[in-house]
Amino acid sequence: MTPVAPNGGELSLALLAMGLPLLSFFLVFFVTRPRVTLSCAVSLVCSGLPLLAAIWLLAGHWRMEAPILWELTWMRGGGVAVTFGFLLDPLSLLMLCIVTGVSFLVQVYSLGYMAGDPGKAKYYAFLSLFAWSMISLVLASGLMQLYIFWELVGLSSYLLIGFWHHKFSASQAGKKAFVMTRLGDLGFFLGIIVLLLNLGDLSILGLNQQAATRLTPGLLTASALLIFCGVVGKSAQFPLLTWLPDAMEGPTPVSALLHSATMVAAGVYLVSRLFPFFQGSPQALGWVLVIGTVTMLLSSTMAMVASDIKQVWAYSTVSQLGFMFMGLGAGGYFAGVYHLTTHAAFKALLFLCSGVFIHHYATNDFFVMARSGARSLKVPMLSLTVAGAALSGVWPLAGFFSKETVLSALAELPNPAWLWLGLLGAGLTAYYTFRLLFVMWRPRRTQPPAGHAEHGEGGHHGAAVYWVMAAPLLVLAVLTALLGAAGPALESFLAWGRPLPPGAHHGWLVAASVVVVAAGAGLAWLEFGRAGAAQQGFLSRIPGLWNLFANRWYLDWLYRWLLDHVVYGLFSRLFTLNDRRVVDGGIDGFCRATLGAGWLLSLLQSGLLQYNLFTMVLVMALVGLYFLLV
Amino acid sequence: MAGDLMLFLPEAACLLMALTLFGLSLPKHQDQRRVHSWAMGLSLLMVAAGLAGLFQEGHLFFEAYRVDLFSQFFKLLLAVALLLVLGICRQLTGVEERYQPEFFLFLTTCTLGMMLMVSAVELMTLYVALELSSFSLYILVPLRSGDNIDVEAGVKYLFIGITASCLMLFGMSYIFGAVHSTYLARIADTLPLWIHQPGAVIGLLLTLSGFFFKLAAFPFHFWAPDVYQGAANQVTTYIATASKAAAVALLIRLTALSAGTSLYLLDVLMVLCVASMTLGNLAAMVQSDLKRMLAYSSVAHAGYALMGVLTMTRLGYSSAMFYTLAYMVMNFAAFMVVVKVASQGQDLKISDLAGLHRRAPLLALTLMLALFSLAGIPPTVGFTGKFLVFAAAMRDGHFWLVLVGMINATLSLYYYLMVIKAAYLTEPAEPQESLAITGPTRALNYALIAAMVALGLFPRQVLELTEKAVRNIF
Repeated sequence: MTPVAPNGGELSLALLAMGLPLLSFFLVFFVTRPRVTLSCAVSLVCSGLPLLAAIWLLAGHWRMEAPILWELTWMRGGGVAVTFGFLLDPLSLLMLCIVTGVSFLVQVYSLGYMAGDPGKAKYYAFLSLFAWSMISLVLASGLMQLYIFWELVGLSSYLLIGFWHHKFSASQAGKKAFVMTRLGDLGFFLGIIVLLLNLGDLSILGLNQQAATRLTPGLLTASALLIFCGVVGKSAQFPLLTWLPDAMEGPTPVSALLHSATMVAAGVYLVSRLFPFFQGSPQALGWVLVIGTVTMLLSSTMAMVASDIKQVWAYSTVSQLGFMFMGLGAGGYFAGVYHLTTHAAFKALLFLCSGVFIHHYATNDFFVMARSGARSLKVPMLSLTVAGAALSGVWPLAGFFSKETVLSALAELPNPAWLWLGLLGAGLTAYYTFRLLFVMWRPRRTQPPAGHAEHGEGGHHGAAVYWVMAAPLLVLAVLTALLGAAGPALESFLAWGRPLPPGAHHGWLVAASVVVVAAGAGLAWLEFGRAGAAQQGFLSRIPGLWNLFANRWYLDWLYRWLLDHVVYGLFSRLFTLNDRRVVDGGIDGFCRATLGAGWLLSLLQSGLLQYNLFTMVLVMALVGLYFLLV
Repeated sequence: MAGDLMLFLPEAACLLMALTLFGLSLPKHQDQRRVHSWAMGLSLLMVAAGLAGLFQEGHLFFEAYRVDLFSQFFKLLLAVALLLVLGICRQLTGVEERYQPEFFLFLTTCTLGMMLMVSAVELMTLYVALELSSFSLYILVPLRSGDNIDVEAGVKYLFIGITASCLMLFGMSYIFGAVHSTYLARIADTLPLWIHQPGAVIGLLLTLSGFFFKLAAFPFHFWAPDVYQGAANQVTTYIATASKAAAVALLIRLTALSAGTSLYLLDVLMVLCVASMTLGNLAAMVQSDLKRMLAYSSVAHAGYALMGVLTMTRLGYSSAMFYTLAYMVMNFAAFMVVVKVASQGQDLKISDLAGLHRRAPLLALTLMLALFSLAGIPPTVGFTGKFLVFAAAMRDGHFWLVLVGMINATLSLYYYLMVIKAAYLTEPAEPQESLAITGPTRALNYALIAAMVALGLFPRQVLELTEKAVRNIF
């Protein structure tokens, strides 16, 4: 598809969306930081305008027929040009709206959540930095630009997770997130290098159109898998999934923005962005499917035993991302992207609701929250329920429809096992979601609603703060309820408005998934919801499984062991030895020799003038002789 | 006539400045501040004239004098260098009180000489212009107040300069003998026919001696350490910046005469290039005096500039021109810090910089950036310059030369980092009071930092200019 150049309006809107958050970062960080209110205002304006620009662009290009491309060459050498610019197509426009929308809502919400925090201005600076990197990532026209901003969102994630750096666990979690995602990015970068060496072209359009024909199948698979390594790290897929639950140490709005709705979804976005490229290699897509399935099931089980509300949503995020990869891996481009869209809405909502409770009761344990009277906070409770129901896939909420598209994509696969595994995941999701909802709605021993007095956080700030935080919830709740209806429209938009191929309609699939969800919810009702339930899951009677799930399948333990025995024990020791003996020894010797030569030469220099002149004439005479003799 | 004046505009401004300063130096007692203000004003005028004359083209004085983008580029560079050097001469602490008006005068005549030099296309004109600038410097070097080291430096400079001049005249006589003309245009037409004769190449090479001397390239570098150390800091700054630019210009002009046809010339230039780089860097490592260290580093940088010149291609020449500009900016920044830190005009040991980051954070930052730039670390202009020169040499197939250059660049990092270490990490033995920095100095610092980074990141406009300039001579 030949791209067209943007007209003036499109150009300025896109550049506005890309540039304003950066401006806001610099302004807030370097100029207005001492003045908190002004900083928040700057940041809010600079995240609100990109949202308007994004909506305007999306609305204006609802029936677009060719991608819009604008590029500047940053450097050029050896037949390779590295370009910067933007690429507007349905996918990037949709993602742009998601990113700017959630980002704006979270910034509004943070006004209340971060009220009184001494680092509030810095926090807004970091949010702006994130918004800039994420928007630039989404609009990137080439892989190199995408990679640069991919790393920058990693940096902002690190800064925001460790925002309360005086908390040891927070700074540790920031480090862990950084290191684990970087591990995946190593693969991503190698993939870029493979493409650069073999194609010399990193533009996304070029890759999607030509890679399959210009690369050998082996190289194509290798580069796709290497790029997928970066995706695994960023989207916290198996085996690099344990950083995301730890990342919940950051402020809750950050978890909503970065670690559920947008940044971690960048992995899904990248695979969708390069979907034709990935489709060129069935093996690579197969791996995407496998990794997605494994991750989805593993993390659902972890969510079943967590009692920290943010941990539950973190595991759920990992598992839903896995679900998106299942959709993409099964060849369902729209399935992955649609689920990404709805997930952004309901998962951000879940986190923001949880933030209200955490802010109010100063605890992360939802059993404690429930006992302290969480039910009395009406808006967050209702929003939580709507979002939870959407997550489990209850009709007519958004999650139901997007889950159906993923499941139908899975049903197209020749092997029915994938579909069964997908349904199993849906059941587990319904179970852990309703477990939390029932605990919240039907607490066992209701204590007097002493939360305000005891913990005192919510009480000080009063109604204004509550409503600043509640307003974004309502917006997201409405979106969660309505996005389901937008499915067909989105599908035709993403397909460039072309008539869709009539997909096989699996009527029985809807029934099956409804049954599975009902089963999961019913089990949760029996154990947590009904009057007189012990509020203990069946897993607590199977200590082996409970421990396995609660310890995250011992993945962290495995990493520790690998780090201690393989990395430190083997590689580090050998490299240190090499460093001391060979490198240091060699360098020391070389340096001593060089310095000695320097001394010798400078002694020769300080000779008398006669000798200086003699040397000059002698050298020129030798040159003359050389000409005469050669 | 008006057109001719337009062609001669920068030189005319310089001449005017020299005459004015001469007049100002006549009274017995003269207020140094006033002379300085005059000098600053006039040199600003000169920069304006240089800008106005940048795109002039034409011939003057019986075709002995050619004005084109190449010469005008260098004239602008020289005018800017003079302005910058004058900018740090407000407190002329290193020069004896009674000679201060003359100090400004001779800086101006020296600049005038070099301006004439970059436009000269006839051997005798060239020689006279060269001597005008050299003689001004011979006087400037011993003008320093205080101990007698300046006399030694002055004598050394004079003798080595004279010897280089002798060799140069000798070489010119060979060329004249071979070609029967002193006009470069004529020589360029005829010389390629003669280039395989030893006499012609020896003549050309000996003619280059005068400029090797100015550039402090091996084997004419012996004066550099003593003169850098012995001359007043401001004079050293001038020698280290402006006079290098003129030397590179003439090396380009003269090597272009051979049209790149002589392999012998190439061999010799390569030897001189490698010797300059290696000797300069090795000797710089063991210096404890900052200016001596910078002197040896300038020998090494002469080698890098030669690498661009010796390719004798348009790409090489334009990269050498860019390198000259880069070298001027970064070296000036380093020397500016020296001048400011040595507030009594004394010599600076590297260890004297201890704790500079606390005494004057801005100066320390400028120094660090300047030294990083000299060492060739991105994103500074020094990196871009070195990269362009190396790339040009590489494209011409001089792999080994580039390799040696890279090794040398790495070696040079050692002594540059030693200075940065002194300025940032070492604590002074006794606490020293912080240095007062005036507003204009602060602005100058910011401008230099901006220039070093901006030219490093966006060299394109300047490169296009140098490429266009090179087309005039080759």
